[in-house]
Amino acid sequence: MTAVLHNPLFREPSTISGATREIEFRDAIREAMSEEMRRDKRVFLIGEEVAQYDGAYKVSKGMLAEFGERRIIDTPISESGFAGMAIGAAAMGLRPIVEFMSWSFSLVAADPILNNAPKMLYMSGGQLGCPIVFRGNDGAGGQLGSTHSWAVEGLYSNVPGVKIVIPSCAADAKGLMKTAIRDDDPVFFLESERLLSIKEHVPEGEYLIPFGHAAVRRTGTQCTICSWGRPVNFCMEAAEILAKEGIDCEVIDLRTVRPLDLPTVIASVKKTNCAVVVDQSWSFASPGAELASQIHRHCFDDLDNFVYRVHSDDVPTPYSSKLEQEYLPNVRKICEAVRAATYRA
Amino acid sequence: MATTTPSGSSGAPSSGARKLPSLPPDTLKNWLRQMHLIREFEVRCMQSYQEKKIGGFCHVYIGQEAVAVGCTHAVRHEDPIITAYRDHGHALARGMTSRACMAEMYGKVGGCAKGKGGSMHMFDRPNNLYGGHGIVGAQTPLGTGLAFATKYEDEVLNGGKNKRVTLCFLGDGAVNQGAFYETMNLAGLFDIPVIFIVENNGYSMGTSINRGTTMSHDLTIKGRAHGLKEATMDGMDVLAVYHDMYELAEWCRANSRPAFVDMKCYRYKGHSMSDPRKYRTREEEERHELNDPIGKFERVLLDHGVITLEGGDDSIKEIMKSTREEVRDAIQFSNESPEPPMSDLYTDVFLEPWSRFTGSSLPEFMGGAENACRFHSTDGKEGLV
Amino acid sequence: MPIEITMPRLSDTMEAGTVIKWNVKEGDFVKSGSVVADIETDKATMEMQCFDDGRMAAILVEAGKQVKVGTPIALVALEGEDLAAVKAGGSATKVPTAPVVVPPAATSSAARPATVTQTETRHGMEGFPTEGEDGPRMRVSPVARRMAEDHGIDIRLVRGSGPGGRVIKRDVEQAIENKSASQASAKSSTIASSQALSVSTGGVQTPSAPLALALPGRDVALTGMRQTIARRLVESKTTIPHYQVTMKFDMDRLIDLRANYNEKLKSSGVKLSVNDFLVRACALAMAEHPYFNASFAGDHVRIHEVVNIGVAISLPEEKGGGLVVGVIKDADHKSLRQISADTKTLAEKARTKGLSVQDMSDATFTISNLGMFGVEHFTAIINPPNSAILACGAAVQQPVVRDGQLVVGTQMQATLSLDHRVIDGAMAAQYLASLKEFIEEPETLVV
Repeated sequence: MTAVLHNPLFREPSTISGATREIEFRDAIREAMSEEMRRDKRVFLIGEEVAQYDGAYKVSKGMLAEFGERRIIDTPISESGFAGMAIGAAAMGLRPIVEFMSWSFSLVAADPILNNAPKMLYMSGGQLGCPIVFRGNDGAGGQLGSTHSWAVEGLYSNVPGVKIVIPSCAADAKGLMKTAIRDDDPVFFLESERLLSIKEHVPEGEYLIPFGHAAVRRTGTQCTICSWGRPVNFCMEAAEILAKEGIDCEVIDLRTVRPLDLPTVIASVKKTNCAVVVDQSWSFASPGAELASQIHRHCFDDLDNFVYRVHSDDVPTPYSSKLEQEYLPNVRKICEAVRAATYRA
Repeated sequence: MATTTPSGSSGAPSSGARKLPSLPPDTLKNWLRQMHLIREFEVRCMQSYQEKKIGGFCHVYIGQEAVAVGCTHAVRHEDPIITAYRDHGHALARGMTSRACMAEMYGKVGGCAKGKGGSMHMFDRPNNLYGGHGIVGAQTPLGTGLAFATKYEDEVLNGGKNKRVTLCFLGDGAVNQGAFYETMNLAGLFDIPVIFIVENNGYSMGTSINRGTTMSHDLTIKGRAHGLKEATMDGMDVLAVYHDMYELAEWCRANSRPAFVDMKCYRYKGHSMSDPRKYRTREEEERHELNDPIGKFERVLLDHGVITLEGGDDSIKEIMKSTREEVRDAIQFSNESPEPPMSDLYTDVFLEPWSRFTGSSLPEFMGGAENACRFHSTDGKEGLV
Repeated sequence: MPIEITMPRLSDTMEAGTVIKWNVKEGDFVKSGSVVADIETDKATMEMQCFDDGRMAAILVEAGKQVKVGTPIALVALEGEDLAAVKAGGSATKVPTAPVVVPPAATSSAARPATVTQTETRHGMEGFPTEGEDGPRMRVSPVARRMAEDHGIDIRLVRGSGPGGRVIKRDVEQAIENKSASQASAKSSTIASSQALSVSTGGVQTPSAPLALALPGRDVALTGMRQTIARRLVESKTTIPHYQVTMKFDMDRLIDLRANYNEKLKSSGVKLSVNDFLVRACALAMAEHPYFNASFAGDHVRIHEVVNIGVAISLPEEKGGGLVVGVIKDADHKSLRQISADTKTLAEKARTKGLSVQDMSDATFTISNLGMFGVEHFTAIINPPNSAILACGAAVQQPVVRDGQLVVGTQMQATLSLDHRVIDGAMAAQYLASLKEFIEEPETLVV
């Protein structure tokens, strides 16, 4: 525990000086995996099309060439089987990275990833850990229809024993992925297919971002907007629009929903007295609901209004682009929620 | 299939009186003692369950003792074992103390998992026992993963040759689970040294095998479809199990390939403690009891003069007495072992918690940081706070 | 959207109100700030302002009828709205589910429905009740409540601009701004606030701020004492039916007597003031006029058995200024010397370390004297729960007619302010007559 917490490599990417280098979100994840695989031979990547195909989304492009087929392993379409197999390998001390082409496909592997990975340590009385990373695309936005558009954090964050990481930008994706691989517990790493091609500054050199440390993306005094993953970008857009209307928003990127960095959120809400939670999963029993509840509990006497929540609409994800954009927690909905929360509607 | 004993003698496997392997008598006596221990242990489990000392589900292994004992001793201690929920026999055969096993069922700190796992979830890492898994078939991909890891360690990390083989036990009910088919496919595809031992006792709960699966007369066909080496073994004969499993395991180890075993056996008691066994006849049970693996093994050992009926340390009477004493001691230990401290509720959720941790089943999450200090573990080490 | 005027909450304990009189009729133009009706609360009759410009479209509650606070009583059509349509629409909503407290003028868009974003409504929240069956309760956002506590604001007196009249952060911020808590006077205010005019520790009302003039100027924050004065005297002046009665007193003999005594007592350090004589005179007069030593108590008048005379003491500017009332207990049983000594002690204490609660408690009658500043005549506001206060001017030499001769005499004017619920005009005249006897024959004060 302490070894990880005090790891000198824990650094905020924004504090790292050096030449500006822009790479894609997928490149950042690949860099993280490759660096960790060079560092630790126990780490291997397994999943559908990760090797010869170079990854369905090209995240693992070129990794087969560097690491070979013993460590970059193509599987048949068999999520329950290879997820469970990787968990067994992790219990033995290897450090697998399991790529789900989409987190939507993880549902057929629900038993191993929810019933084995997070519980093995507890059920064995501390004898068997499970140092494993599951990663893949999460969330809607690509007109994939309902079955392929899951935001699984809504389901999986309910389960104790997993750490859930949802980066919103390339620099975070790299630092958080390296932490995930070094973490001794199961980590669910949720990427957004919509972000994969976005080029952003990612500092050179090695750095890790600790779990449970939110990033304040924008400081403000009148309303705290909390989010994670892709919607953070919508929140930043909304904050710009709202600033022009005279509503000064603070945007907090939680980065991990388990652990949830409540201290940062609480400090902010105590300042702004107002909070809006933006979560791309469905509203009912979601991490957004959890965060809102926590804010109500910890900031009860500091709130000027109840915590507003912006989620994907409570319907199956539509295919139509127009409907899908409306379905998602978009900029308009965030603006509306902030105006309402600050009594400016 | 040829049967190879450690001494190199060979012969066709037979289910009847078997030529005694050239093993030290103490080893053979130890096997017998383990079989007696398992049976005595399970009887006392039933008793304890009825006394409400044991909660939840409880599945006893009576009748199948030869499988666990024969298989376990056919492989090396460093070869991982994983099994399903009827797991007490495997745990005892692998070396878990009867105290740790019983106390776990009693939900006490002296249990192998400090009372956090229970009857279906026996873990013993020092003895390379990786559970104890309650979801039917769920242990099969995990077991394949154990084998993947040993192979990876031997070949990729250490740059050598595969040295280990994993025994993955499952019931005949588990052969119908999708995860098992996926697993067999992966094991076959990836050359994984895992042996799926289907303890075919004829019933998945109350559903007889012919009502539950196709090709029930020969389950090895299911393995064959995935390219697994197949074998059928007499699970009511510990010597047969040992011989056949030894040969198979060595083959898998040497070739780094998976295998499928249809292990014919019989479960004398119900599926669980609440099973009235209305789905089968008393006559059927009696027929199998005549084929009791313990009695059969005793006769062989008596015939060869390895043991006596009574008198001296090597007598059956003495062995049974010592197992009774051991189990009685285990029960006494379990009764006296303390209940887990409340702080244990919050430990073993994560190996790497975090200082600002707020996102799990911790009291801080529920009641705020002000409560967290109450939940440090009793040994003074900080819990998950 | 027309404006719904609801029965306002005009006192802290008011739950229902009666429209005594409508000052406008349907069709009249109304302006923000205009008094549209008189409302009888549980305590008094109050004026009710309109907060919007428009035309009175409908009067929903006729004069004489009592309704619960929050009940709509009138509809105001805004510019461009059709009177008849507003009236037609309004009568249909006579029993609203969410009564809206009239918001302050600053946020006069008012009466909008509780804001719910689309995101929320899509989750089936529409149709949820927003108000209990038994009428409105105070709605305050948690931070508004905390901020009000921190700043000593009585939240009940802050008008809410949030949904359903919820008092929100900006309402309290506004109240704090209005109130005053300047850091510079923070220290003196803590000393002074405990001794301001009354010992009441109740909440502080923030008098509704008149619209600021758009002129250059500077704002001076209210001290705690100033707030108390503001609240107590507004309460007194608006709830007690005041009237005044003035009388002139010949002071020549009293002044002579005082000079005589002061000369004789010089060695013992005693220096009687005119005020000391007045205190004794007022106290002695109570024996014959017990209603001047009484309090109005809703359904009865309480006549006090002890006579405690309060003396208004102004505080120096460096102490934050203001006014406190020191109390001379059992004044009818004290000699002039004793009264003089008590008064000096109180004044000294008030101007240095401050009066204790004990020093300011339980006045049954109050004297305010501005004679030392040359003021000849003024009226004072009753210090509740007193029933009267005497405002004394300066004793000045002036031409007087005495025995048909114009002579120079020294006279003082004193004006009683009285609570008509306790004391009628003739009683006031009789009390002043008694006072006149004591003052003009000052020897009676000595014996």
